[in-house]
Amino acid sequence: MLIKMLKKDYNRKKSITITLFFFIMLSALLVASGSNMIVELSNSLQTLFTKSNTPHFVQMHAGEINQSEIDAFTSENRHVKSQQTVEMINVGGSNLYLGDSSTPEVSSVMDHYFVRKNDSFDFLLDLESEVIEVDSGEIAVPIYNMQQNNLEIGDNVRVAGEDFEMKFTVVDFVRDAQMNPSIINSKRFVVNEEDFAMLQRNFGESEYLIEFLLTDLDQLTDFRNAYQSSNLPMAGPSVDFPLFQTLNGLTDGIVAVVVILVSLLLILLAILCIRFTLLAAMEEDYREIGIMKAIGIEQNAIKKLYLWKYVIIAAIASITGYLLSLFINPLFTGNIMLYLGTAEKSMLLSVIPILAVSLVFLIVVSYCMLVLRRFNKITVVKALRSGNIGDVQTRVTFLALSKNRLGNINIFLGVKDVFQRFKIYLLLFFVFLVCAFIMIVPINLLRTIQSPSFSTYMGIEQSDIRIDLQLSDDINQDFNNMLDYIENDRDVEQFSPMVTSLYEFINSDRNLEKMAIETGDYSIFSLKYLEGSPPLNENEIALSYLNSSELSKGIGDNLMLILDGDTREMVVSGIFQDVTNGGRTAKAMLPINEEAALWYEVSLNLKPGVSINEKMVEYSNAFYPAKVTDLEGYLTDTFGNTIDQLRLVTILAIMIALFIAVLITALFTRMLIAKDSQQIAVMKSIGFTLNDIRLQYATRTMSVLIIGIILGTIIANTIGEQLVSVFMSLMGASKIEFVIDPMLAYFLFPLLLMITVTITTLRSTASIKNTSIAEMRA
Amino acid sequence: METILEAKDVSKTFVIGDNNQQTILKSINMQMKKGEMVAVMGPSGSGKSTLLYNISGMDRVTSGSVRFNNREISSLSEKNLSNIRLNRMGFIFQDIYLLKNLSIFDNIVLSAYLAKNESRDKINQRALELMKKMGIAELANHDITQASGGQLQRVAICRALINQPDIVFGDEPTGALNSKAAADIMKILAEINEAGTTIMLVTHDVKIAAKTERVFYMLDGNIVGENQLGKYKESNNDSQIREEILSNWLRKMDF
Ligand SMILES: Nc1ncnc2c1ncn2[C@@H]1O[C@H](COP(=O)(O)OP(=O)(O)OP(=O)(O)O)[C@@H](O)[C@H]1O
Ligand SMILES: [Mg+2]
Repeated sequence: MLIKMLKKDYNRKKSITITLFFFIMLSALLVASGSNMIVELSNSLQTLFTKSNTPHFVQMHAGEINQSEIDAFTSENRHVKSQQTVEMINVGGSNLYLGDSSTPEVSSVMDHYFVRKNDSFDFLLDLESEVIEVDSGEIAVPIYNMQQNNLEIGDNVRVAGEDFEMKFTVVDFVRDAQMNPSIINSKRFVVNEEDFAMLQRNFGESEYLIEFLLTDLDQLTDFRNAYQSSNLPMAGPSVDFPLFQTLNGLTDGIVAVVVILVSLLLILLAILCIRFTLLAAMEEDYREIGIMKAIGIEQNAIKKLYLWKYVIIAAIASITGYLLSLFINPLFTGNIMLYLGTAEKSMLLSVIPILAVSLVFLIVVSYCMLVLRRFNKITVVKALRSGNIGDVQTRVTFLALSKNRLGNINIFLGVKDVFQRFKIYLLLFFVFLVCAFIMIVPINLLRTIQSPSFSTYMGIEQSDIRIDLQLSDDINQDFNNMLDYIENDRDVEQFSPMVTSLYEFINSDRNLEKMAIETGDYSIFSLKYLEGSPPLNENEIALSYLNSSELSKGIGDNLMLILDGDTREMVVSGIFQDVTNGGRTAKAMLPINEEAALWYEVSLNLKPGVSINEKMVEYSNAFYPAKVTDLEGYLTDTFGNTIDQLRLVTILAIMIALFIAVLITALFTRMLIAKDSQQIAVMKSIGFTLNDIRLQYATRTMSVLIIGIILGTIIANTIGEQLVSVFMSLMGASKIEFVIDPMLAYFLFPLLLMITVTITTLRSTASIKNTSIAEMRA
Repeated sequence: METILEAKDVSKTFVIGDNNQQTILKSINMQMKKGEMVAVMGPSGSGKSTLLYNISGMDRVTSGSVRFNNREISSLSEKNLSNIRLNRMGFIFQDIYLLKNLSIFDNIVLSAYLAKNESRDKINQRALELMKKMGIAELANHDITQASGGQLQRVAICRALINQPDIVFGDEPTGALNSKAAADIMKILAEINEAGTTIMLVTHDVKIAAKTERVFYMLDGNIVGENQLGKYKESNNDSQIREEILSNWLRKMDF
């Protein structure tokens, strides 16, 4: 009898069994892939950092340096294990030709630095993760450019000035632990010692990376303070090891997290399916269970029978999912492998995904056991007499047909049924909600990152064009010329110059510390502030999120600045998010400190109708060697890789959502038709046509879908937004507001879901044709 | 009198499994006149219900012709058949097939709302009148779980009559009721018939069949006999005699 029941159960519910199998398998697959990705990511990161011997603290500096001063500092500071100064030649985009392209990289937001092989640490690695060495005439190009410009080994790279040209052959690609991520706007090209000297002669100005390896990474903060309060060069941002880690792992980290999140949702769906089927099965077998109990078969034996079924399904599905993940993993880890390189296969790599999959299995099985506890409530007498386990009590008088004036009777009946038996529709409702959620969150995130206002999360005011002037001897002259030019340009609507300089302030230990502060007029271009508002008078200062949390200064707190030997008490007026310049920046309206100026920039908006591209070309020529960027170009260059990955995830999510919607709708409709076959037959007997009844079913799924979409959208825009914010805070941007494309999020996607679900419902209800009172008798 | 329903050489074969066929109706020939009330009797499994479903267009005949109101219906589309069921036919079953999630009143008016021949006000009014006549007016806003079997069968009759059909089919409409309730239902059916509606009943109950005009006897998929009892009138006080005549006939038919 037991085996017979199992067999019967499978035959009766082939489709739900298969669906359940799919859900568990898919979630096992994604959990395995996601966790594999995370392990792989951290392994690769570790390997990359080990092999490249990544520095712990790096100060960028544009301008002269005095190595003996640095040496003196190094020998005095007990935290330093070793120090190295890397000279880099900044080759402007207008001088650089990649591949066969005849146009230079003017519009690129990247700074292209040419460097030599490093001696002691901070090694630049090739795709085999070996230290790169190149001969004269050869060059190794960053992976970023390899992808952006579709470069291959053997392609050419040209550096050309007015009366100067050098040609290189690409022999390798650079894996750069410091500057890999596209979010870092500097890229390093490796050339030979001789070629480097040649470039040096023609592009006089060098920039430097003053790099330190510490004896103990825990002393990083101490060390940074020591460095910043010294008189060593600091005309540029400083970055550190933890930041390298975060930025390198960001893109793939986000993808891994999304993958795992989706798999968690799938487990939830699997669990709902189990609940649905188990309860339905128990209802159908209620009498039989009663009889079995009556003839003395023990309750636990019956329970075990049901449990076994799900244990077997879950086990096979988990194993299949895990095995499939082995094939799919390369797809997910491709990006990691490319940018970070492969690591030795560690034990963890095989153990963690298996553990994760086992967890999925255990969740499913324990949930079954939980549902099966209801068995205890079945008593023989109750089972044999009533034949059902408390079918949903319906409130019939609710929504009375005869008291309702409006509309189509079939639509009315469909809606009424949903409201009356909502418990039955819970599974469907939840599935639709999840589908809407996993469609909308990725697209909103994608749209947000793509939108121009996203720049304000990065500490960049939203403007049409931005011009950066790097430090040089006659920078002040250049800057003033530039301002004159812009002031007289009639195409410019408004502009705002900003100067970033180092200022001293008194820290909580009553010591002097230095901070890069940008000064300018913050009423012109808007920046989204996390809290508070921009500095609008001389005593106000706005801090970046990282600065504010490291100095533990909130809105209204005071900060003592040293200006011309005097102290000035500043009040923190706002906190903004910043991912540039190491995330530690500030904004204030201060007198410009020309000696300590780090860089100059101008943001400007053009009058309507003026071509941004043409203006950029004009300015690039006029202000050479200043870097001219437009915001959109900046965003695509910086986030291109992330956007691509995210787009992949979005498409995947939409496909998964539609697939699940179709699967569950079909399944659910069939189950419902089977459950309601008698009622359908009655309706047919009194003259309802097939299409009348199908319309009722379509109305049912559609009402559930609409409620699901509405709730799913609300949840996506609230909880989903917060969830995304949590991950983005890793980048220094701690509060993201979704930019919503209403056409896509509120119209196209819902419509797509609706059409899919309607078609599925109509197709699945075709079998009603065979339902008739004539068949009802048994 | 005009013929309302006519079956000619009707057969019905069910396909069970791959090479298993079962012919349940062999060669049925029968006709009914407008305003007639007939009963179909016969042993269990002889094909009575199958006959009813096939000549009412609820199921499709395997071969032969069925004419309803002088129109061939065996080849009509599902949609046309639905339309005929909706406007011209009423059904009452042994098991009480009502829609569970509608109130009693809604169950009754449902098919009239669907047919849309009249305003809803008018339909509601007629439904109330029908319910009064059946003695269930006070149940209008009740759940179908809040009524007895006899009451529900009256609800089913109201539903069958709401669109003023030409013919009402009943498959053992009193089969699940006690004899008192069965007698009440039969009285109602007789009244309806008196008012002009043609009625065809399948029944095992001699008392019920004795109140009809004509009785068919079915055996193994064929109509093997027919007994013309003549119109029943309560005032004649002859039900006892009719039942006896019928019983004797049935005994002869090997019932
Ligand atoms: N859809 C069907 N498929 C196959 N066989 C069927 C089907 N419907 C009825 N039968 C068979 O046809 C035969 C006659 O059934 P039917 O219900 O017409 O008998 P009946 O005379 O109404 O019996 P009862 O008096 O018990 O109601 C039975 O043997 C039954 O098994
Ligand atoms: Mg029957």
